[in-house]
Amino acid sequence: MTTETQPSDQAKVQSPRMAVWKALLLCLPILLLSALIPLLSLQSGDPLMIISGLAVWILVNVFFVLMLITGKTHRYRSVLFIMIAIALPLDFIPWMFETYGSMLLTDETIYSGGASFCPLTMPMVIVPALVKRVVIFPGTLVGTGTHGIFSMMALLWLGVSLSIGRGWCSWGCFYGGWDEFFSRLRKKPLIKHKQIDRRWIYLPFGILLAIVLISALTYEPVYCAWLCPFKLVTEFQAPATTLAIIQIAIFILLFIGLVIVLPLLTRRRIQCGLFCPFGAMQSFFNKINIFGVRIDPEKCSRCEKCIRECPTFSLNEASLDSGKPLMTCTRCAHCIDNCPQGAITYRIKGTSLKASPTVARVLYLYPAYFLMAFIGGATIMNGLQRLLMLITTGSMLH
Amino acid sequence: MEKLKAFFGYAMAVLAFPLIVVMIMAGVTGLGDVFVEATGLQTAAKFTGGEVVRTVGHGAYETRVHRMVFDALFWERSEGFIQVAWAPLDALPARIDEEIDADGDGQADFRVEVDTANKESTLTPYASWVLDLEGTYRLNDTLAVRVRLRNPSR
Repeated sequence: MTTETQPSDQAKVQSPRMAVWKALLLCLPILLLSALIPLLSLQSGDPLMIISGLAVWILVNVFFVLMLITGKTHRYRSVLFIMIAIALPLDFIPWMFETYGSMLLTDETIYSGGASFCPLTMPMVIVPALVKRVVIFPGTLVGTGTHGIFSMMALLWLGVSLSIGRGWCSWGCFYGGWDEFFSRLRKKPLIKHKQIDRRWIYLPFGILLAIVLISALTYEPVYCAWLCPFKLVTEFQAPATTLAIIQIAIFILLFIGLVIVLPLLTRRRIQCGLFCPFGAMQSFFNKINIFGVRIDPEKCSRCEKCIRECPTFSLNEASLDSGKPLMTCTRCAHCIDNCPQGAITYRIKGTSLKASPTVARVLYLYPAYFLMAFIGGATIMNGLQRLLMLITTGSMLH
Repeated sequence: MEKLKAFFGYAMAVLAFPLIVVMIMAGVTGLGDVFVEATGLQTAAKFTGGEVVRTVGHGAYETRVHRMVFDALFWERSEGFIQVAWAPLDALPARIDEEIDADGDGQADFRVEVDTANKESTLTPYASWVLDLEGTYRLNDTLAVRVRLRNPSR
């Protein structure tokens, strides 16, 4: 006999009015902290930014209340996650044009420290930073700019990694939404999960090891230079040399293959699950992170729906036996929301199996959703403001 | 023991929220700068050109000779570069013709001529370890050249 109930079950047994009040009360911390978004927009004095800030503040809080009322996590997370990914280039590319005249990184931009620091660079930066106190990235180390300052990104990454581990990949990543968007377009996969060799899940760890070693040896962030598919939606090396043209061709092909075509065919986040070395590194933080996901063996009917549908290949038959997903789990809650038996829940490590999954879920949602609402919300706000500029002035540039 | 583990579990889970809030706020408000300064982190010389080791005044403008860069993780590379920059931009003459002492031994190692308007440069190596010109760049308020070198100490 177990006292555990699914979050959705709990919502059902409460009266609707009670559930709404409880959700509003639980929403207060997010409501207050995310109010910084419209407050920051007020500072700009730009009416379009203020409208965008208010709209985003309302949006993220409505979504959080809906998460709490319905007990569903993935549905609302996914929409915001995709919005963040689409909003980033809407703001970043016009900003590149305003600052550098194009989205191309010339040698002059690079040698002037003009590249924006991206969290995906972190695995390559760590070894030289520890050994030689050198950051092997041509960006700005200190300051309070809005676009990719190292000091800001380093603290953000550290805070997120310690708080929610690989939750970054489903709650904070600026790019993962592209993958998620294309993986959700088709209702059924053309390539079934049984047709995908499970050994591919080790590829990101291989890439991680390779880029850490090669970057340390060459003193260059090799993943950024050669393999990052998301260059297409941010900034990239000017095609001034044959080498640069080859690099551009590679990341265009990777974007089309890993972010568009394969997610469409498989309904999985292929770039995130089978390629991204940053995600592989974050998997290790899952080991030291207090939050987890658990599968109740008493409730599990072994229908394997979760294995078939996990976007990042983080569940297999062994997971059902062990009662937990693989270390690559991004805590996206897809399996939690879709388990027909309600056997999968968020959990806090160290607590008993009878501990309330609702408490674990809420305690996980606070840091994860704050990340999404504040950093992601600011990204959506900036992207929305550019769109409003386009509509009202015909240009996305200031 | 079980209760203690559960207590620490919940305590850590509760602390995760203030931790992420504090770290994000610290980053956004520029407190991360303190972290970077405390750790002594610097951008790799490969990108910045390295520290300026000599400055030569020419009245309205000056020449900044950076250190030779052969940086690597555990050893020095066999090939690298030196960056020479002239500043400020608006005080530069139409043509710069200057001999540069790269290794600081008091003797010129190469001569560089720069057309400041068109960013075109020519290099005349004097030392055998001076290889060729990598490029001419406008970097912030300077005009700079990078000259490829073979490591003279290897």
